[in-house]
Amino acid sequence: MASIEATGLSKRYGARNALDGLTFAAEPGEVIGLLGPNGAGKTTTIRLLTTILEPSSGTFTVAGEPGDRPHRIRQRIGVLPESGGYPARQTGAEYLRYAARLFGRSRRDARSAADRLLDDVGLGDRAGTRISAYSRGMKQRLGIARALVNDPSVVFLDEPTLGLDPAGQREILATIGEIAGRRGATVVLSTHTLTEVEQVCGSVLILDHGRLRAAGPLADVVAGAGSLSAAFISLTEGAGHE
Amino acid sequence: MSSNRWDVVAEQESRELWIGGRGPVLVFGFSLLLSAMTYLAATNRAMNFLEQREAVNLTVQVGLAVGVLLTVVVSADAISGERERGTFESLLLTPVSRRAIVVGKLVAASTMWLACLIVTLPYLWVLGRGVAGAGQAALLTLVVGTLVALGLGGVGLLFSAWTNSNKTSLACGLLLLLVLFAPTQLPALPKTGIGEVITRVNPIGSALHYISQILVSRRNWTHDLSYLASPVVVALVVTGVLIVAGPRLVRLTAGLR
Repeated sequence: MASIEATGLSKRYGARNALDGLTFAAEPGEVIGLLGPNGAGKTTTIRLLTTILEPSSGTFTVAGEPGDRPHRIRQRIGVLPESGGYPARQTGAEYLRYAARLFGRSRRDARSAADRLLDDVGLGDRAGTRISAYSRGMKQRLGIARALVNDPSVVFLDEPTLGLDPAGQREILATIGEIAGRRGATVVLSTHTLTEVEQVCGSVLILDHGRLRAAGPLADVVAGAGSLSAAFISLTEGAGHE
Repeated sequence: MSSNRWDVVAEQESRELWIGGRGPVLVFGFSLLLSAMTYLAATNRAMNFLEQREAVNLTVQVGLAVGVLLTVVVSADAISGERERGTFESLLLTPVSRRAIVVGKLVAASTMWLACLIVTLPYLWVLGRGVAGAGQAALLTLVVGTLVALGLGGVGLLFSAWTNSNKTSLACGLLLLLVLFAPTQLPALPKTGIGEVITRVNPIGSALHYISQILVSRRNWTHDLSYLASPVVVALVVTGVLIVAGPRLVRLTAGLR
């Protein structure tokens, strides 16, 4: 059974189509790359599948739950939003404990989950430090830890390596591989960085101006073009991007 | 069934308000204002310019007015502020229902009113000694003030949900309070026909009038009970709107589905 299934998913803002008839499926344990230039519809896709936005048309299921049951979907997904803010006055541990409690954990469970996740993402020694003192890379790792606080079946990561140095990017990519490999969760990775997709993704979706240009296993999409970069440019070129 | 963890939201919001946030600063400012006002009232009383019950009534009115003002300031920031800080999406991505988010935020904002009430109590005790008015005034402030704070704090939360800008929601809240407070400063207003209507419709005007009737005119609590209709209706309607329309109001971007 597919862990994500979207059929004809569309989102319109007035006359503008932010997403137009997206249809795809993702299997459990798969890391799927969501690619596209600015304004392609990547963040809209993630916000639709994570129930933050309502689709204008189309249907979807996530983790076996239909799109018309948003609270049940939210129970089973983890999300690192694009440019998500962090409460500066909270410590990393407080931030994760609060998130765990919102997912229904008791105080004691929330505390142990927060400690475990902070260790998992390498922030165990900074658990009591205020988030305002964290570097960007540390905040991204904290965000990923938060996305895992409910042991999700599907994880959405929107630009998780944005603004990170190469070492920080490498750490995040290793964490993503671990999420899919060890936890068996499906990971949807939205990014501009094609090399990241080549390193960790088994399949890709390429969007442009809200339309799906290519979907499938990485090897199939690359076949013929020679490289993912060449395939990406040929599928999205001449569209007048931002 | 979506999760109803309003208490978790309320606890965290209250913690942010009182431990890491603006709560203590605002209440400290409020206590300075009350201290200055109590000093002036006590001085005037000593010079026989102000009757003791009037001094107590004045303190209750200032306590209620400023307490409600600070509650609106906090509630007007509750949603639009999170949108501006970028922390709202994380909250919306949890299984906590939108209604629970609204209720939790309103409860947390209401703690500002309760704090103002607690700060007011010693001043009431000082000014009301000997006339057995302090206890009555405190109870009256708790009951009537809570109704007004809940209703207008809820309106502040509605402004916050309807706008993406924190400045806009705060400006709307303060403008509303200005419109509601201004008529209360016209001494002859309740004595005229139209003035009576305006006083009764205005939740703040009617609440202050009801309180002064009991504290200064020594009326029974049930004598002018109809003046409480406006605060009760506003509190019930606003709370009802927030609970019923919560799922449509609490969105990542105001007005965007």
